[in-house]
Amino acid sequence: MGFVVACCFLLVSPAPAGETRHVLVLYSNHRLLPANLEFEAGLRETLTDSTELSAEFLDYPRFDGEPYIRALALFLNEKYARRPPTVLVVGGEEALGFLLRHRAELFPQVPVVHAAVARSFLSSLPPLSADVVGVPIEYDFPGTIDLALRWHPQARRLVVVTGTSAQDHAWEAKLRGEISQFQGRVTVEFLVGLPTDAILKRLSELGSDAVVFTPGYFEDGVGRQFSPREAAQLMAAAAAAPMYGPFDTFIGTGIVGGSMPSFAAMGRQAGEIANALLAGVAPTALRLPAIMLPTAHADWRQVRRWGIDASAIPGDAVVRFKGPTFLEAHRNEAIMAAAVFLLQAGLIAWLLVERRRRRLANLAVQQQRFELAHAARLAVAGELTGAIAHEINQPLGAILSNADTADLLLTSGADRRDELRAILADIRRDDLRASAVIQRLRALLAKHAVERQPFDLNGAVREMEPVLQPEARRRGVALEVRPAATAVPLIGDRVQIQQVLLNLVLNALDAVNGLPEARRTVAVSVERDTDHVILVVHDRGHGITPEHLPKLFDSFFSTKRRGMGLGLSIARTLVEAHGGRIRAESGLGEGTVFRVEWPVARGAGTPEPA
Amino acid sequence: MTTLSPLIHVVDDDESLRTALLRLLDAAGFEARGYASTGDFLLQPPPDRPGCVLLDVRMPGPSGLDLQAALRCQSNPLPVVFLTGYADVAAGVRAMKAGAVDFLTKPVEREALFGALQRALDRDAAQRAAHAEAERLRAAFAALTPRERAVFDRIVAGQINKQIADALGIAERTVKLQRAQLMAKLSANSAAELGRLAERLQHLPD
Repeated sequence: MGFVVACCFLLVSPAPAGETRHVLVLYSNHRLLPANLEFEAGLRETLTDSTELSAEFLDYPRFDGEPYIRALALFLNEKYARRPPTVLVVGGEEALGFLLRHRAELFPQVPVVHAAVARSFLSSLPPLSADVVGVPIEYDFPGTIDLALRWHPQARRLVVVTGTSAQDHAWEAKLRGEISQFQGRVTVEFLVGLPTDAILKRLSELGSDAVVFTPGYFEDGVGRQFSPREAAQLMAAAAAAPMYGPFDTFIGTGIVGGSMPSFAAMGRQAGEIANALLAGVAPTALRLPAIMLPTAHADWRQVRRWGIDASAIPGDAVVRFKGPTFLEAHRNEAIMAAAVFLLQAGLIAWLLVERRRRRLANLAVQQQRFELAHAARLAVAGELTGAIAHEINQPLGAILSNADTADLLLTSGADRRDELRAILADIRRDDLRASAVIQRLRALLAKHAVERQPFDLNGAVREMEPVLQPEARRRGVALEVRPAATAVPLIGDRVQIQQVLLNLVLNALDAVNGLPEARRTVAVSVERDTDHVILVVHDRGHGITPEHLPKLFDSFFSTKRRGMGLGLSIARTLVEAHGGRIRAESGLGEGTVFRVEWPVARGAGTPEPA
Repeated sequence: MTTLSPLIHVVDDDESLRTALLRLLDAAGFEARGYASTGDFLLQPPPDRPGCVLLDVRMPGPSGLDLQAALRCQSNPLPVVFLTGYADVAAGVRAMKAGAVDFLTKPVEREALFGALQRALDRDAAQRAAHAEAERLRAAFAALTPRERAVFDRIVAGQINKQIADALGIAERTVKLQRAQLMAKLSANSAAELGRLAERLQHLPD
């Protein structure tokens, strides 16, 4: 620590005393008062870089009283004895008053710049010596109130809030003096010396016919200490009516605005004077404005909130929080972000479109598979037309012949009633027979929605027998159908499974085509083990050559001259759609066995024994 | 022989249809007999009487076309009318080429069926008549002596009596005599008629 001090000393002390530019600022209030911070910012930006800046705070009104003031004067005296300031800036009336009282003992030769001192305060003092200079301010209470009434022409009540400290009372007195000019325009209500809670409650109950004016307060009715800005912030948050204040520092707390000199401007003004004095300009030679002119200030957010007509805001007004728009301030970032958003949105949209497209494509594929399966059924039916026509024409032929016979018998006049009755019975039976064939055919060929229902594989196979047997007979093949001993439950689409069977049997019939009669046999059986439901189609044909076996279920693979190569491919698709698998075992010359296996349908299972 | 009434053989595996057909033929005055299969028909050789076969194409075992082929091997085949459940063009062509009278599809109109059967029976009758005529001719021809046959051959070859006599080394008068004898045996009145007879003999079925 001692080392650091020594270093500082070594660095600073060689400089000639006359060239040391040291500005001491003495503030009335404590160091964190927003007004002080803004003032110092204005001051710093104006002072030349080489200027040393010190700051002291009276901490008024938190600390007050003769002993404190004396001790403070003593402290400053001791503190700055070795490093006296070249220029002294006093901020605020209390600081100026303090300085004037203790100047002789403290800094008698140092020129003084006063700032943030009201003209009214100056006029209450004896004339200042020539080396105490500054631009007085006017806290523009009436200007602020006037502004409020102009921006809220509908207002009928003016509510004024002040506190209980000496400064608060001074402001109240000033207000009471100045308020009379508004009496005709609005009714004025003073809220003086109330507890903060009560103030907030009152403000929250105001209607749209009121505006609030407050200089804030340092102390409320129950002695709680505030900075005026804090008080203003609390009030603005609670108030149900627009609020105005005379101080620059209130902007941002939630007040709408006011007519006020800005503390930053005061700081800049003080800095300019200090610069001139430091440059050796005689205080008397300074040409200073008579006063810091107030300007209208407004918080744009509040302007919007209270619906104030923007055209009522004067052109030279300082409008805060409007600032550059987000776009103006961050144009590049905004463009980047927008680009990223756009890209992202585009990507998302593209993905969504893709997803939708894929879903549609899936649907289309499903639909196509369904159509294809149906087309395959129709094609198979084409192969079966001979057998089917035979099956239907057989009963139709019998019916027609029987009808002709009946006609002949009736024409002959012979009484052969019994024979006629037998004929009618036969006609009836054959008619039902034909209709059953058609129904089975319709069930097989109809374009039905794919079902998922439990059914008995045994039954499904038996149903196909009347379709398959005639075809087998037509081709001179012995077709044997062996259902399982008990019902074999399976879940899915009965017709599709029948289509699989049809395909396999027609293939088998093709396989034994042209062989000696003993080998022209095809066997269909339904089997069941603990885990599987099995459909077997066995022919005693030539068999499949080993190199063809792996390609058997591929689309468009066919060894037949007229084959499309879709039958087995579709059969496999249908089998797998039912969670099963299909495979072929074949030995050359020994025929082929197609085995279709499905896992046993649990739950939907075996019919309950009654 | 011609006094026998025709018999229609109905071969169809479908019992219902077969019954209906037999019933219809019976009602229409035909005499008919039913068979459930080709084999059934072949196992019961039909009596030698006029008739025809009403034949289904598709049947378990040998088909109707197989039966038609088998029938054609017989000396006096029964005409066949096919009655099929499905008008398969290939089968139809095959059947007609093989000499079927008609190729009908079920269900068949009564008139069409009776018409076809009648034509079959007519053909059978004609066949039978032609067959009988040929038999008679063959028998007459068989009754010629070797010398008469030699004379016959030369007459139809266009030789005159003198040439025949020279060729055979017999008297012209003997040729004349034998010529009169063979013309009487063959019931012919002129050389031209003999020529036609020779033509027919050459084309006689076996």
